[in-house]
Amino acid sequence: MSQITGGHLVAKYLKEIEGVEAVFTLSGAHIENILDGLNEFGIRSVDVRHEQAASMMAHAWSLYTGKPGVCLVTAGPGFTNALTGIANAFLDNAPLVVLCGRHPLRDDLKGALQEMNQIDMVKSVVKWSATCHDIKRIPEYLSIAFRQAVEGRPGPVFLELPPDILSIAVDLKSVDIPKRRTLKTSVTPVKEDLKAAAKLIDQAKRPLLIGGSGVGFSECGKQVAAFAEKTGIPFALLNNGRGALPDSHPRSINDGGFTAVMAALPQVDLVIIVGLRLNWVMESGQTFPDAKVVRIDIDPTEIDRNRTSDVGLAGDAGQILDLLTPMVASKDRSQWEKDLRAAYGAFLVTEREQRETPSYPIHPNRLVAQIQKVVGEDAYYVVDGGDTSYYGSAGFSSIHKAGVTAPASSLLGCIGTGVPFALAAKIAHPNKPVILLNGDGSFGFNGMEFDTAVRLNIPIVCVVNNDCAWGMIKHAQEMSIGPERCTCSELGTRHYEKMVEALGGYGEFVEKDEDIVPALKRAIESGKPACVNVMTDCTAVSPATVVFYQTLSDF
Amino acid sequence: MRFSLLLYALYAALRVASKTHKGFRHFIRKARVKILIKTAAGEPARLFIFDQGRISSLPGDHADYDAALVWKDAAAGFSVMTSRKKDAVFNAAARGDLKVLGMSVYAMWFQEAIDQLM
Ligand SMILES: Cc1ncc(C[n+]2csc(CCOP(=O)(O)OP(=O)(O)O)c2C)c(N)n1
Repeated sequence: MSQITGGHLVAKYLKEIEGVEAVFTLSGAHIENILDGLNEFGIRSVDVRHEQAASMMAHAWSLYTGKPGVCLVTAGPGFTNALTGIANAFLDNAPLVVLCGRHPLRDDLKGALQEMNQIDMVKSVVKWSATCHDIKRIPEYLSIAFRQAVEGRPGPVFLELPPDILSIAVDLKSVDIPKRRTLKTSVTPVKEDLKAAAKLIDQAKRPLLIGGSGVGFSECGKQVAAFAEKTGIPFALLNNGRGALPDSHPRSINDGGFTAVMAALPQVDLVIIVGLRLNWVMESGQTFPDAKVVRIDIDPTEIDRNRTSDVGLAGDAGQILDLLTPMVASKDRSQWEKDLRAAYGAFLVTEREQRETPSYPIHPNRLVAQIQKVVGEDAYYVVDGGDTSYYGSAGFSSIHKAGVTAPASSLLGCIGTGVPFALAAKIAHPNKPVILLNGDGSFGFNGMEFDTAVRLNIPIVCVVNNDCAWGMIKHAQEMSIGPERCTCSELGTRHYEKMVEALGGYGEFVEKDEDIVPALKRAIESGKPACVNVMTDCTAVSPATVVFYQTLSDF
Repeated sequence: MRFSLLLYALYAALRVASKTHKGFRHFIRKARVKILIKTAAGEPARLFIFDQGRISSLPGDHADYDAALVWKDAAAGFSVMTSRKKDAVFNAAARGDLKVLGMSVYAMWFQEAIDQLM
């Protein structure tokens, strides 16, 4: 009779049924048997230095691969450390499967090591949570976990696995293992609603399509392209929908970034919003009060949130666009598109000049442009920080899905996400350059993960946009309480590149414009995880800070 | 001449509104923003200074603005700024009659401030 332990059963299910390639983890006695199982079944374990990085990397993995990310953390502090990454995935609707150790069932309420009520704590930031009490039901629980993570609106799930079921063994024949990986299901709208949407689209003179993370998770770049090409409607892909089509697609207005969307929205007569929540970032839909709205979202409760839609189509974005595209008229809207580009171009004069012009100190827009020039579009860019997130999102462009991500500018607004996201990007796409542009403040949270990068040979290149401050906060304080009263927002000149060197990576320190390109080239050529620490203009303020300040001060 | 008068009249109207118009007062109460409006030739020009609810203004071209609205010429500036059409500024930018220098988000803020008065 072939026996299998609970931990190995977990690994067997992950590998053979869900096809999991990598698990992001940090060791602990409670989960030892699962770790051993990962080795046994040939699943790569990516072991980090702080569980926050594990949950963030697993979240990022889902963006870069389109498959749920799996994170494995130990009980108690392993869990609490991972919590920020779980909350981030929750607000990002990312399919994250968190497998977590737990104090033994046997020792419940006895004051066991790392005993705490994890389930109650995690509940508000997951779609589903459970504790498995029976070794034979491990595959069943895992299967539910994966289904919950990917079905409908994706999101994180949490499964506790106590050592009393992980380290005991059971006869494999007595375990019922599901035969196939979990299926994604979806609904589609009724014909009348599709017709109503098509009518609004045909009538529109100045329409715009804005796609969000739902486009990314639905993997429907092709459908967006077919729709935009037939209707001539320009589009912007935001958040984790960015890159579902290359930024350089002829209908895309991503070259104008935030400014293009802000300039366009008050002018449009129809907005087609696909897989994007109308939250504070979109000013709750208030910037286009007179426009008609067609909303496509996997979650029916989003259809009228913050802004009533004229037509709401609930379901998978790709499937709906497949149905809608044959129903809409083929149109030439090139004049509208030309006007739109010229109009937002007029608002970007200075930003574009800053990109082209060397300056001392270096302007962050220039830094971004120089990086883009060296690295090109066939790369993955991750940006992290306050102002830094703006500069990077506006300035970088990529031909890849999720080729430019700014995890700190999503709903949790969690800085420190950059290093984990960049590492996950490089593991998922080892043959492409992965460039991380990191604010110096944000670098501090997970900078120690450069050890992970060195140990596991994950050669990302991190460029620190170093303004010696928590820039976005400092500048917002200058606006609100005044420059002379700024508090807790200054950082010193720190040699982060030396820290990376000390960990076994490659480092460069840059103060002058002419040194950016050679330093970056040397960093890439080193083939090591690298840090190019660039001193930039500490007085530069990004538009994101202005908007952020206005939003928070409007009381 | 007409354009320079218009800029002065705008300043006067904004100042009055900053004392009497509730919505406008609320909108500008926290901002410290300098908006320059000028023609491409540099004249006429006027700087509008918003300082936490107070508004002042200086005639002429200035370099220390947060955002500058640069009109192709005085006639274009005059006709768009006196237009009541919602999309007049957008269309002017699309036609090449307007360029925004500096941080355009402040120009959008300024536009929103003016919209409060419409
Ligand atoms: C985890 C977390 N802590 C604090 C904040 C508040 N915060 C937002 S932006 C910011 C400053 C970021 O500074 P830096 O990384 O240096 O980037 P910069 O704004 O200078 O580009 C801070 C502290 C946050 N969003 N997330």
